[in-house]
Amino acid sequence: MFGYVMANASTLSKEEKEIYKAHYCGLCKILREQYGQKAIMVLSYDMVFLEMVLADIADADEEKGKERCLPHPVKEHEYIITKYTRYASDMQMLLGYYSLLDKVRDEGKGKSEEKKMRVLLPELEKKYPRISTTLKNGLKTIEDNEEKNIKDPEEMALLFGKILGEVFVYDDTSFFRDDLRSLGCGLGRFIYLLDAWCDRKKDRKEGAYNPLSDDITEDEIKEMLLDAAAAASAAFERLPLDQHVFILRNILYSGIWSKFREDKK
Amino acid sequence: MSDPYSVLGLKPDASDEEVKKAYKTLAKRYHPDVAGNSPEAARKMQEINAAYDQIINHKESFSSQSSYGYGYGGYRAQGEEEPNELRAAVAYINARRFVEALNALQGIPESRRSGRWYYLASYAEAHIGDSTGALRDINIAIEKEPGNISYLAFRDRLTGRRTAYEDYSRSFGGFGTGFFPCCFPFFPCCCII
Repeated sequence: MFGYVMANASTLSKEEKEIYKAHYCGLCKILREQYGQKAIMVLSYDMVFLEMVLADIADADEEKGKERCLPHPVKEHEYIITKYTRYASDMQMLLGYYSLLDKVRDEGKGKSEEKKMRVLLPELEKKYPRISTTLKNGLKTIEDNEEKNIKDPEEMALLFGKILGEVFVYDDTSFFRDDLRSLGCGLGRFIYLLDAWCDRKKDRKEGAYNPLSDDITEDEIKEMLLDAAAAASAAFERLPLDQHVFILRNILYSGIWSKFREDKK
Repeated sequence: MSDPYSVLGLKPDASDEEVKKAYKTLAKRYHPDVAGNSPEAARKMQEINAAYDQIINHKESFSSQSSYGYGYGGYRAQGEEEPNELRAAVAYINARRFVEALNALQGIPESRRSGRWYYLASYAEAHIGDSTGALRDINIAIEKEPGNISYLAFRDRLTGRRTAYEDYSRSFGGFGTGFFPCCFPFFPCCCII
């Protein structure tokens, strides 16, 4: 996906950084084990957040270890794997595939990768019917709206939000499914809007679709982003999180703004 | 229902953090994987969930059985029969099925949408994460029934979480702090943390 849901490292303690990194490395490890070395191309921080939220709610058992890996062959590093790491890795593939497909359509790049990833789809769709149906239908609507050049950022962001909301619901019978869905939806809206904002100049230059109007101001986009982030955090604060809550709050209240700040420079 | 704090084995002045911890401990104890499929454990689980809802969601969100089951939305014109779709929507909301609630509401044509319709829509939208739609609809509800306290209180809650978010963000240095560098700017690398 987009990798916007990451921590602001400057306000994390050393221990917190290590835990966060270990969860990231755990996801990377599982992703490579399940889908091969090349799968790290779809790896992003967004799904690390999801894994840590789900693991915290369930107080999931952690499998800890140390390894050297292909991207970091010299220095040994720690990893943490939970029951939800595999789920996050599957979701990463599912979302990664469609974002690649989007790239192939828009830019004509990544055709061979797309073909390789496509073979994985049937199994993922069988394993996660609810999520893949929402994903496919949602992306289809987004695509149709893009073709019609509909310039309604809030509406478009909500379409993407609903997709991510579904991804956040690991178990549709869970007592916390609504809060998880709201959290995912708010974050999805945030990601979509921020992505549109970061791409606006490039899209205008290339004549590509962008949901934002050409004369949108920074204050206007910030209002929309704040609204989405506040919706996500209202749901987040209702969840029974205690183990990683400081890291997760750092992401939600600060880290997710990293690329917005960067864009301002 | 008995006092929600005592259900969780806590004193009434327990913090949200303590409530969350106690909830998790008890939820694990009565989880079907541990306790088996006994009706006693299932009942206990329901109690714990209800207690959690009452304490946490009372403070943080809008759902609560007490303000909900009866006299929902406060004011309603006497003697007026509610459309089936609206009743279905209330039932869905009480069962926390917000997507279905919105679908049911869609069954009522725009010309027949009351303030209450917009309130219910706003409530359901807020719970699926559509805060923009929620704010839009609660404003219409208030326009239709300006004196309705429930609607006004709900709008305050919706706008209040924005303020809460911004306040809390400031404790992390706000949105203005610097970005950290990465060794591969285009690659999602763990080096950035």
